[in-house]
Amino acid sequence: MIAAMTPGGEPRVRAAGLERMLGAGDGGRDGDGDGDGDGDGGSDGDGDGGRDGDGGRDGDGGSDGDGDVRGLGTEVGRGRGKGKGRGEGREGGASDELRCAHCGLSALERPTDEPELPRTEDDRWYCCAGCQTVAEALRAGGLEQWYDVAGADRAPARTTGRKYEELDDPTFTARRVTTSEDGLAHTQLYLEDLRCTACVWLVERLPTIEPGVVEARVDLGRGLAEVAFDPRRAPLSRIAAALDRLGHPVHPYLQVDRDAQRRREDRSLLLRIGLAGAAAGNVMLLAAALYAGWLGGAMTATETTFLRWTSMIVALPMLGYAAIPFFRTALASLRSRRLHLDLPIALGIAAGLVGGAVNVLRGRGEIYFDSVGMLVFLLLIARFIQARHQRKASVAAEMLLALTPRRARLLDDAGRASEVPVEAVQLGQRFEVLPGETVPLDGVLEEGSTTIDRSLLTGESRPAQANVGDELFAGTLNLSAAVRLRATAAGEATRVGQLVARVAELARRRAPVERLVDRVAGKFVAVVTSAAALTIGGWALAGQLGAGVEHAMALLVVTCPCALALATPLAVSVALSRAARRGLLIKGADALEALAHPGVIVLDKTGTVTLGAHRVVSWAGDPSAAALASALERQSRHPVAQALRSHAAPADVTFEDVRETLGGGVLGTLARPGGAPTQLAVGSPRWIAAHAALPAELEPALAAARARGESVALVAVDKTVVAVAGLADPLRDDARAAVQQLRALGWDVELLSGDDELAVRRAGQALGLDEARCRGGVLPEDKAARIEELRARTRHGAVVMVGDGVNDAAALAAATCGVATHGSAEASIEAADVYASQPGVAHLVTLVEGARATLRTIHRNLRLSLLYNLSVGVLAVTGVLHPLLAAVLMPLSSLTVLLSSVRSRAMLPPATKVRTAPAARARRDADPGAADPSHRPLVAAASAAARESLAAAAPEGLP
Amino acid sequence: MNILYLLIPLALTIAGGAVLAFTWSVRSGQLDDLDTPPRRMLAEDRDR
Repeated sequence: MIAAMTPGGEPRVRAAGLERMLGAGDGGRDGDGDGDGDGDGGSDGDGDGGRDGDGGRDGDGGSDGDGDVRGLGTEVGRGRGKGKGRGEGREGGASDELRCAHCGLSALERPTDEPELPRTEDDRWYCCAGCQTVAEALRAGGLEQWYDVAGADRAPARTTGRKYEELDDPTFTARRVTTSEDGLAHTQLYLEDLRCTACVWLVERLPTIEPGVVEARVDLGRGLAEVAFDPRRAPLSRIAAALDRLGHPVHPYLQVDRDAQRRREDRSLLLRIGLAGAAAGNVMLLAAALYAGWLGGAMTATETTFLRWTSMIVALPMLGYAAIPFFRTALASLRSRRLHLDLPIALGIAAGLVGGAVNVLRGRGEIYFDSVGMLVFLLLIARFIQARHQRKASVAAEMLLALTPRRARLLDDAGRASEVPVEAVQLGQRFEVLPGETVPLDGVLEEGSTTIDRSLLTGESRPAQANVGDELFAGTLNLSAAVRLRATAAGEATRVGQLVARVAELARRRAPVERLVDRVAGKFVAVVTSAAALTIGGWALAGQLGAGVEHAMALLVVTCPCALALATPLAVSVALSRAARRGLLIKGADALEALAHPGVIVLDKTGTVTLGAHRVVSWAGDPSAAALASALERQSRHPVAQALRSHAAPADVTFEDVRETLGGGVLGTLARPGGAPTQLAVGSPRWIAAHAALPAELEPALAAARARGESVALVAVDKTVVAVAGLADPLRDDARAAVQQLRALGWDVELLSGDDELAVRRAGQALGLDEARCRGGVLPEDKAARIEELRARTRHGAVVMVGDGVNDAAALAAATCGVATHGSAEASIEAADVYASQPGVAHLVTLVEGARATLRTIHRNLRLSLLYNLSVGVLAVTGVLHPLLAAVLMPLSSLTVLLSSVRSRAMLPPATKVRTAPAARARRDADPGAADPSHRPLVAAASAAARESLAAAAPEGLP
Repeated sequence: MNILYLLIPLALTIAGGAVLAFTWSVRSGQLDDLDTPPRRMLAEDRDR
């Protein structure tokens, strides 16, 4: 029985397989705009949410201060990209190939946006700075055994090189660190990339390399490490930095408050399962003796009585205790007059226990303890599976939240910056925001000017200029220059905070989907109780009241809807674990039910159906200027620069005297050996007018690009414009096909965006949508209102919202089912019912089809279990049913449901697409942006761990 | 058959002991984390 409760039976094998599988799905967003290897802050920022946008940092090998601000999406992307690369490399199997000395990644699959590392002195080669750091840390700590433990299951490591100073801040210590009597400090930290046995081994060896640490214990399921350390010997920041060097960037654990309650719930459920199992097992043995006696007839009355009494003594207290949760929900459901499946269950259990006890006292009639024992045990297991799933999904979501920036660079009076937790900043204090960072608090710009990406907040895809005196909002992304701000609002008072509060409010108001099972349960209760009454009445009319009561009792016990209770959790668990393996985290069965009936799907534009980053979509004039422009923009973080860089590989030239004008462009001089120096300028038409003349033949191109709604950048060589580049946020490759498929499945598709009307309409056209179905310029608050309007109008089917920004969060919460996509803002992840770790909308088709298939399985399960109940019910009413037969039929019905669930094809990848590696490679080749497998580090750990445990908890592992 | 009167209570006592042990292990938090220990065990003997 204990084995039954440890569904982690064979996690290792699965884990390896999962990594491969995860590799398959990488996509455009990760790669957006960083084929170039530095400075893609802007493009990520569009979609990845405020915490992201430090692609530049990644490119530098994470050498600067705050590698973990980046978005989740990123993380997933990287884990995958790299994982895949490794897999392919190995399959390729060329033996003399250059491979990373740490992770074994082939040189051919090296992340392209990392600076290429030279061979080290002892002739080792590393694929990336992360691997080198970790390998050196392992060697220095004498932990090279790690390579034996890890075996072939290695992935490129990621380190950030951060100092984690904020962990030593008193505000953090006071809230997150506890001190025990022996003077040791204890804290819990989220670790990234915690996924395998070798990670557990490594992190738990922390005391050997960081003497201040007394003990480190890993909780793989939650991605946590509990660290006990001596604060006098090592500050927490040093410990965190040591973990970082081992390839596990650290984040503070924020959910301490919820822990105690969760632990209580978990333990109590386990305890009940244990007791129910023990009671069921023992009572069943006694029942076997009774049945044997009944068949053989060799038992004396005393022995029979003894066995019956023993059964009761074992069963009553233990089963009574184990079944308390069912009684409790049944009572609550009676009180609130909402029928719940636990009602008939509680009725059956109570009938069995009370009826059995009465019959023991009377000395005749059936005792039902064996059946009831099995029932309670199986039902509790079903609950355990369900609880485990929900826990995994919420843990994964929490981990995503933990990865958001909670640090600010506070400036003291002398203007020195120090990193502190956001909570420690007082209003009126000054703080600094570096380029590529997310603004941590609302503030007024006091020094410097920069461009700001507000897409997270507003959905607007073009960056805006910010000058001294402008207010910057928390959650927006600083693109181009370091600026200093004075804090005007923090936490919940910020504009983002208010939006998030609104999300919480909407989520509370959301009407729960009426659960199919509960509807069935309602009818079920009515039918069973009236059948029981009829039985008593019928037999009483025939003059056998006693027999009538007996049979009614038997009816209640055998029809206790065990299979019915298992029907949904099993089908849902199978679907959820499979979905999780495909990168879709579904938070509950409700979402599946909502998605199964076609209704309206509302899509956000920026980042959801589009790449969320600017790309060069048209080019007029001299094509050879592209490489030069790309080279000139090499250092710039501006979205235009990123677009140009992803359009053409930089020419191998060096510019001198490069000057960037904010909101204007870049100017540089190219020295040619043996020729006059050439001056190159790239910038907006207005700015370039001061530096170069536009020849008449390019004027139509400029006008045309503007008419198409594109932003325009001009390239000028020696004071003459030679090329006109049109930039826009292009649609994702698969968006149109996905939208068409959704419509073919019966869904209405609508586009809703904060971006300007024209851009939205053009995107809608490209997707094949009516103009009436595209709405632009919608404020975040109005998005939610639109969703509510749709919900009020839509009678049948769900209103599904798909989006990623904070501006979508309220709408996600208001929808029947919200889907947050890859790289979503934290508020969106929290508000959504489904989190897709892949960018774009293609996964929606999987989701919708999978939901429908799951619902079909649930229906089939319900039919099977009702059929069983009907047939044994009839037998019981007529008094033909022998308890032995009932005892055999009951588990049989549960088994049928189990098989039916596992056999379902819901959420399984289509058979033809089992090997996606070539497809993934082709996609990478096609999209230069996606070529960087890299970098994007975040929550691969979170989602991989969740996926894995989901997989382990899948009912395949059931006894 | 009277040996039943001895053996069944004896068996139940042993089962009761097992249940108590299980209860203790749950209450003392040994089963809080069901994911890590099976893996930790795999790597444990690598230590020197």
